Amino acid sequence: MAATLARAGIRSVALGLALELDPAIDVPGLPPAEAAALAGLPLTRVRLDAGELRRRWRAVEHGAERARELRDGDEVALTVDLADPAGYLLHAPGFARILVAPDGGELLCEPEREGSEWTTLVFAQALPLAATLRGLEVLHASAVAAPGGALGGGAALFTGPQGAGKSSLAAALVRRGARLLADDTVAMQSRGGDLLAHSGAALLQLSAGEHERLRCSEHAELGPGANVLGKHRFAVDLRAGTAPFGGLFLLERSPDGPALERIEQVDPFALLATTFNLSVRTPERLTRHLDLVAALAATRRVFRVRIHPGTDATQLADILLERLPEL
Amino acid sequence: MATDATTELLAARMRLPQHVVHRSFVAETVVLNLNTGQYHGLNKTAGRMLEALDGAPTVAAAVPELAREYGVEAANVESDLIALCQGLLERGLIEIVESEPA
Repeated sequence: MAATLARAGIRSVALGLALELDPAIDVPGLPPAEAAALAGLPLTRVRLDAGELRRRWRAVEHGAERARELRDGDEVALTVDLADPAGYLLHAPGFARILVAPDGGELLCEPEREGSEWTTLVFAQALPLAATLRGLEVLHASAVAAPGGALGGGAALFTGPQGAGKSSLAAALVRRGARLLADDTVAMQSRGGDLLAHSGAALLQLSAGEHERLRCSEHAELGPGANVLGKHRFAVDLRAGTAPFGGLFLLERSPDGPALERIEQVDPFALLATTFNLSVRTPERLTRHLDLVAALAATRRVFRVRIHPGTDATQLADILLERLPEL
Repeated sequence: MATDATTELLAARMRLPQHVVHRSFVAETVVLNLNTGQYHGLNKTAGRMLEALDGAPTVAAAVPELAREYGVEAANVESDLIALCQGLLERGLIEIVESEPA
């Protein structure tokens, strides 16, 4: 099997998936992985094949159902349509279409523009969807391996609404020596009663505002950077592989901050809302999602982080680093 | 005074349909209807009532244990249980088990 993979494409690992990447696609943040790192992980192939995508979708598109639509103002930014037996068709107009097989085992890509910017759709949307279809639960969160043995050395996950500062906080912690596990999407899995967090792509994206706030030397601490689609993307040194769950931090902007507290009575609906995936609604997946939320709540390691509007990500990281050892 | 409908309900046996799952949390129970993908929240007491209903031979049979557990009059538990059953039945979150013919 390993020889077949080596011939067919580049092997990599992200979101708990063993990836076989078409050499014709340059997906950033997915470096080649050793065979040992792929062992036991479900395989997902990523292929550049517009003809096959069109052929499969044409056969079923009359019966397709819209599973999700994301808008950026008046513009449609992303649609997800589902039709059996082809799977889920992701379409970011002007960027690409990607057909994700119903079992998450294959991604067929059809770029709609030159260059490599369209591959953002691969790691930002298609792979998280494939991971969900492969049996993992993907949270809308950023994560670092907790530094200094805090949280039992496990993964600290940061989640919250758009603009809460998930990536900024992860970046600030990375600049303080923590290792990034994932930015924006974290694949979780319950294995033998233990909760595990899987690493994502070796990329970290900052908003223009956060990028501007940091000095050049601080940018350099993150790694090589580039401006992609209005965000500043850094190729960071990833803590690849899996890490035991350490804690989930719900970020919220509040004039009462900064404050960090353990949530004794976790609101399950707040945890359900941290999911990245709203498209897969099968009974198996919905049950698995609820089970993960119950398991997260049972850890008693869910924390609320109130962030005062005057507190920046660097200050917040320092507060967290001071408090983490006592959690 | 009990109406025919409540008498009938008290004598009925309830169960969770196959398309319904629930998980307990510290302060509430989340009930998920897998057919609709809708989540419902029950407070701690209603969650406990749901558990009791699911295992009892009739709705009425669940009353004494709950009354003991919460230290309240059986009549109060009975009316709360009936209201809960009606709400859950309306949402398809429990179903009445038809008695087998003799």
